[in-house]
Amino acid sequence: MKITTERFKQTSLEELDNIHTQKFLQILPLRLSARRNEAYESFPDPVAAHDYGHSIRDEAIQRLPELLETFEANAVANGAQVFWAEDSQAANDYIVQLARQKGVDYVTKGKSMVTEELGLNEALARAGIDAWETDLGEFITQLLHRPPFHIVGPALNIPVQQICDIFIEKGVIDSPTVDPVALGMAARQFLRDRFRDLQMGITGVNLAVAETGTVINVENEGNIRLNKSSPRILVCVMSLEKVVPTLKDAMHMLRVLCRSATGQSASAYMSLDSGPKRPDEIDGPEEMHIVILDNGRSAMYQDPQTREALRCIRCGACLNSCPVYGKVGGYPYGWAYSGPMGQVLTPALQGLRDTGDLIRACTLCHRCKNICPAGIDHPSLLLYYRAKDVAGDKTLGGSGGRWGERLVHTLFSIAGSDHRLWRIFSSIARLAANHQREGDRIRSIPIGARGWFSSRNLPALPHKRFRDRWMDLEKSKRK
Amino acid sequence: MKKISMFIPCLVDLVLPHIGENTATLLRHLDCEPIYHPEQTCCGLMSFNSGYRDEARRLARHFIRVFENDDLIVSPSGSCVNMVKNRYTDLFDDDPEWRKRAGDLAPRVFELSQFIVDHLGIEQLGGSCRAKVAYHESCSTLNALGVSAQPKALIRSVQGAELVELTGADICCGFGGTFANSFPEISTALVRQKADYFLDSGADLLVMCDPGCLLNIRGYLDRHHPDKKAVHIADFLADSLRGEVRAAS
Repeated sequence: MKITTERFKQTSLEELDNIHTQKFLQILPLRLSARRNEAYESFPDPVAAHDYGHSIRDEAIQRLPELLETFEANAVANGAQVFWAEDSQAANDYIVQLARQKGVDYVTKGKSMVTEELGLNEALARAGIDAWETDLGEFITQLLHRPPFHIVGPALNIPVQQICDIFIEKGVIDSPTVDPVALGMAARQFLRDRFRDLQMGITGVNLAVAETGTVINVENEGNIRLNKSSPRILVCVMSLEKVVPTLKDAMHMLRVLCRSATGQSASAYMSLDSGPKRPDEIDGPEEMHIVILDNGRSAMYQDPQTREALRCIRCGACLNSCPVYGKVGGYPYGWAYSGPMGQVLTPALQGLRDTGDLIRACTLCHRCKNICPAGIDHPSLLLYYRAKDVAGDKTLGGSGGRWGERLVHTLFSIAGSDHRLWRIFSSIARLAANHQREGDRIRSIPIGARGWFSSRNLPALPHKRFRDRWMDLEKSKRK
Repeated sequence: MKKISMFIPCLVDLVLPHIGENTATLLRHLDCEPIYHPEQTCCGLMSFNSGYRDEARRLARHFIRVFENDDLIVSPSGSCVNMVKNRYTDLFDDDPEWRKRAGDLAPRVFELSQFIVDHLGIEQLGGSCRAKVAYHESCSTLNALGVSAQPKALIRSVQGAELVELTGADICCGFGGTFANSFPEISTALVRQKADYFLDSGADLLVMCDPGCLLNIRGYLDRHHPDKKAVHIADFLADSLRGEVRAAS
């Protein structure tokens, strides 16, 4: 998948002007947030359930290396083949190679952000292998060559007429319709044909259970179930942080995951797979491959701060709660992961070179932190990335900041550590700002604050600061 | 009489000094003696949020030196209180001495409405006004400090004040410090949304606990809806005590 994080500002502007995006954003994030809150109320103790999820993810991340080894051993004992992929290239090569070796000419896929991260569809296409997305939303975005707009609903923003048009163009339907049920049914029939003779299915993984070597997927359409059960060869791709210690832990994470993602206490389908078909079983894939993807995560793990982002379970609750996502939607974030989730994951995985806007496009409102079922402190992480960026951190590829900005902060902090200098600084600030005053307000300042004044005024700075007024008052009392 | 040290944010000091004066008025009304250290400057929030940690530490050390001998410190700004209370310890992660000094200071710092309701145990201030009031939940105040019931209780306690529901009260106004200047279109979309909800609420006044949000919302209203008023809670409560709050006509 093409990475466009460096275009955050431009894409934001396009999306702010896109009426479909804006129409959708006015409704859906609020509705999903409300549903999530309602679903949490079905816990006997919502706060305890929330905190319990944090603890599970905390333990999982702290014990990550050991849990992954246990998971591998148990998955292998179940008959699965485990491949450790250091990066996208290694993962894609393994999967393409496997497909070629088995003489597969097409594969089907369950919706998975990790394969978006890999750019797996493109890699398969280069090898002449068709990849069919089988989640309805992902199917639509694939036909349209669009990135996912929302992690849970990749095509939620696409108007129904556009879906009708692309379905006609691609031969999914013969005659036009804007009936959502008819469109859904057409896609279903179209994809059923792909499942019928399927040789190889590819899915992501929501949770991997160390103690049993099980991979778990949640979904609402049944397509993942078909991807996992109908082909001869099953490939499950997981980023390495998806592991939890026990099945009991996994069960609780499913409770919070489904509630956080879609406001359901349980999704319509949950599949737990522990290895391929056994000799005494009548169905299931003959081969099960589990690709465990690193792609920079071991490095993230080494830093106790960035490690925190590995808690993420990709529920998307942070997107729905984010004021910025609520205005610009998923495209500006420029990679597989959007919203606050992307803002904490992408800089750690891609470095800071092209993510400078991503780490700053946040008002630090803390809603994502409070809603996160995995216990990620997004604001602290973003502040950490900003500090690494201006410090020119080598590991993350920080920019070192702009010299003008650094100068302002240096002078400001020097003035602010001595009240006499502060006094001089405030007089200069007042003179400079008030130079442009119109009565008791300022409508613009020529340099440095164009963004602010594009839509806002500033009150003219009063002749006497609070400090001066207070000192005057004290003086008059003494008289 | 309880001595209360006032932590006056730089924004209040330079741009909105009446908020500081009204903070003092409220404290006196509650039989406290406000004290003010004229050496205070800025807590370092802006530098910290921009990633300039050395600069933020320089300001934080100055802040700690000025305030660390005070028993109770009160500020009319949720975001500045959050900085001192919850961020200073992160800032001095590698410096045990200053980390300790920051940690010792943190529990003594309060946001104004939090101090009045939680620490003094007062929910009835007296005062009166005739206005419909909407309350904007400033993000740092609500999400970082968990303060929401306190200011609303104080608003309700004002005789004649009708607290009306505000759609999206807890959605960010788009200020975010330098965010407002760096991402003006997104910021404007958010402050416009806030203003629209305020207009829809039918309230005369929009009250909040953070001077940052106030600068943003008031700045937007002043440009686009000059008849609509946004005020800081210290101004609202002190004006109510003086009987100076009137519904916009």
